[in-house]
Amino acid sequence: MKDFLEMRNIVKRFPGVVANNRVNLTIRAGEIHALLGENGAGKSTLMQILYGFHSMDSGEIRMDGKQIRLDSPKDAIALGIGMVHQEFMLVRPFTVVENTVLGMREGRGPLLDLEQASRKLQELSNRHGLALDPAARVGSLPIGVQQRVEILKLLYRDASLLILDEPTAVLTPQEKDQLFAILRKLKQDGRSVVIVTHKLKEIMECADRVTVMRDGQVVATREVRETSEHELTRLMVGRDVNLRAIKPERKPGAAVLQVKDLRVEDESGREKVCGLSLEVHAGEILGVAGVDGNGQSELAEALLHLRRIEGGQVIVNGADVTSRSVAEHRAGGISYVPADRRRVGSVPEMSVADNAILGQQRKYVRGLFRDLDEARKSAEKLTARFGIRGSGIDQGAGKLSGGNLQKLILGREILRGSAVLVVEQPTRGLDVGAVESVWQELIRARQEGKAILLISAELDELLNLADRIAVMFEGRIMGIVDAVAASVEVIGLMMAGIRPAGAANTGATMKEAPSGETV
Amino acid sequence: MARLFERRLVPADSPAAIMATTSAAFLAAMLAAAFLFVSYDASPFQAYYALFHEPFATLRGFGYSLVRASPLALIALGTIVSWRSGFSYLGFEGCFVVGAAAAGWVALLTAQGAAIGPIPFILFLPLAILAAYLAGGAWAGIVGLVRARLGGNEVLISLMSNYVAIFILQYLVSGPLRAPGSLPESRLFPKGSWLPFILPGTRAHAGILIAIAAAGIVWVLLKKMPLGYEFIVTGFSPSAARYAGIDVGRRLLLASFFAGGLGGVAGLTEALGSQHRLMDGISGGVGFVGIVVALLARLNPLAVIPTALLYGGMSVGADAMQRRASIPSSITFILQSLAVLLVLAFDVLRYYKINFDFRRGTPSSTAPQVSE
Repeated sequence: MKDFLEMRNIVKRFPGVVANNRVNLTIRAGEIHALLGENGAGKSTLMQILYGFHSMDSGEIRMDGKQIRLDSPKDAIALGIGMVHQEFMLVRPFTVVENTVLGMREGRGPLLDLEQASRKLQELSNRHGLALDPAARVGSLPIGVQQRVEILKLLYRDASLLILDEPTAVLTPQEKDQLFAILRKLKQDGRSVVIVTHKLKEIMECADRVTVMRDGQVVATREVRETSEHELTRLMVGRDVNLRAIKPERKPGAAVLQVKDLRVEDESGREKVCGLSLEVHAGEILGVAGVDGNGQSELAEALLHLRRIEGGQVIVNGADVTSRSVAEHRAGGISYVPADRRRVGSVPEMSVADNAILGQQRKYVRGLFRDLDEARKSAEKLTARFGIRGSGIDQGAGKLSGGNLQKLILGREILRGSAVLVVEQPTRGLDVGAVESVWQELIRARQEGKAILLISAELDELLNLADRIAVMFEGRIMGIVDAVAASVEVIGLMMAGIRPAGAANTGATMKEAPSGETV
Repeated sequence: MARLFERRLVPADSPAAIMATTSAAFLAAMLAAAFLFVSYDASPFQAYYALFHEPFATLRGFGYSLVRASPLALIALGTIVSWRSGFSYLGFEGCFVVGAAAAGWVALLTAQGAAIGPIPFILFLPLAILAAYLAGGAWAGIVGLVRARLGGNEVLISLMSNYVAIFILQYLVSGPLRAPGSLPESRLFPKGSWLPFILPGTRAHAGILIAIAAAGIVWVLLKKMPLGYEFIVTGFSPSAARYAGIDVGRRLLLASFFAGGLGGVAGLTEALGSQHRLMDGISGGVGFVGIVVALLARLNPLAVIPTALLYGGMSVGADAMQRRASIPSSITFILQSLAVLLVLAFDVLRYYKINFDFRRGTPSSTAPQVSE
């Protein structure tokens, strides 16, 4: 296979940092090339240079041996380089064909020729196995299909290099498989694909070659069939990491958190949690799996009463706490680690010390005044106990890295000593080292007998940490499986709303489980 | 690629850095304004001498500076309380007016033969402060209530409410409180209700002491009390505040009440300290200048008193300048505005550091780090 595109000695500086430091990358015609690296390793910057979003400070880009200039995404598209962003750039009320021709002149004269565009789309869709209807409204399509519309947009512009930024973040396992099948077809077609990711499994599954970046530099490029997950991790992190959580045996105790027939609505009044019931026992981690947006966040917020409960009951240690206020929950009962670390879980503008007492500001009080000494002492204890690295407790919390900030929030919520811990997406966007320590802390809290509700979109995380896994789909629990016995396929089906015949049925909503409803 | 000025990722936020950029901005404003003086054939040095000599180097002038500074400082403190709580209140002109009216009303009640009659100043003052505080607090509290309960826009509502307050005072001084036969203004308050003069031979009154005490209280509230912590969390991030169990709506309401009360007391110092009667136009824009003072003081309660003194002193000096160097006093207004603009604009300097080694071509030690 010949080299199709070559990036040589790319240097890109941002104020005070070198995001890309003499980076070399070659992409062959007809290959799937994975770009692997932790957050901040410089892989997004590199791809944005290739897509014409950023200008480089020095270096050169060659395509088929000829040097090219990329001053804007327009140049990139003209040269056949296209990008699918993590956030899709689609107009939801438009149809597939309308979205596709957006920004292009189709047909002769001032009128759009959508007919002809539709025919071309249909043909492209058939050839690449995208299974898309050009007349469908984008807003009504599932996420996985919307992603295919993005790909189709690039094919319509005859892109020969497709860059996909974290393409699987929002997909169910089945949608992921479909995506990989499409990518393989594109490859056979002679096109090149770059996927930017930090998920090793997916690289092993679909990529031909992988380039690993760390600290703005390329560490290595490997043929996927000649490398292993283990080696890639070491290359990416710079040391050996054991991403297997070792979970000691532990008999779960009594049911601490009981949720009965919970109903919650979102801002627009749509029901997001529809009669959900579950139980979490002392010393148990109950995982909640599901594609983002199936009511997991609303469930967590409702437990804390950050969102109004329309119906049902929340019981902690036998006491009905359904109507307690957030402040009362915070005083005892339920702790919460929210998904949004920087906007909800902490106040980045305030110091680490001030963030360490967030939610307990009325506890560190002497008379009328804040007990600053006591608060500082507990902040010191927190940073020491959870290994939070930074320049001390007077530093602004916003200056902490994502992993350290998460440890601060998690540690604060664990040390509050409440019986129930609700944790939402605890490792989203964290690098491998930080993931490891967050996992350790969660297991430790489990050993201490807390009842933990772990909401996560990462199946790996759930399979490693949880004792049981409940799968949520459209506000309901599709089924609860033992983590030891769970298979990714079964969970994946339930995430897509399909209840496999063998899954354990629990809770009131499961009674009607139809045996005929299969794939 | 070494450069003389290297960009920082985060601004330098040490007190020294802030002092340095603020002073530099002020000097730059004075330099720019100097060209305006030249256009009047006046020496900028003489003009600046006149501008600063009278208010800060003469006893009489300093007295006037204190008089001007008191309401400015109180309104700036109110601004700090509300803005740090995330409540963008702009209605201090109104609070000032209703506060002045409430204090004046109490003062008139203590006149010979009025409802209360003469009472000792030690009893009168707390009563008057309470009245002014409640009036100003309620005035701003209404806006806080609309924002907290109905989600209204406090910027618009508070701006408009200023006019309502001004018209209420107009009604009072041309109707129920009007002194017989004269201009639309109230009777002179009884002597026993005047704020005592504190510097012999000047007009300086105890209002500045009230302002200093208020600065201390606001500082303690925001820095030392759990309520202040909750205000600040609410101001930075309402969603984090809700998460922390803070009742955001109630905190907004409370902050608006506290802030408005301070604005009301500002009205009290003007009415009982320097005018000694109620009249139309008593506020004269202090409610807005006070907000500017708060911005110049960078929302730091302890920096408010010196900033207000500087700002108030400059307006005293402006008149002296007009007299002594025949330069229109409005140039001072231009100078003040330039100072505000440049102090805010010079913030960008805190994003740079000077790289003394740049000639040797080595980027300074902190440069080549990699982050996202």
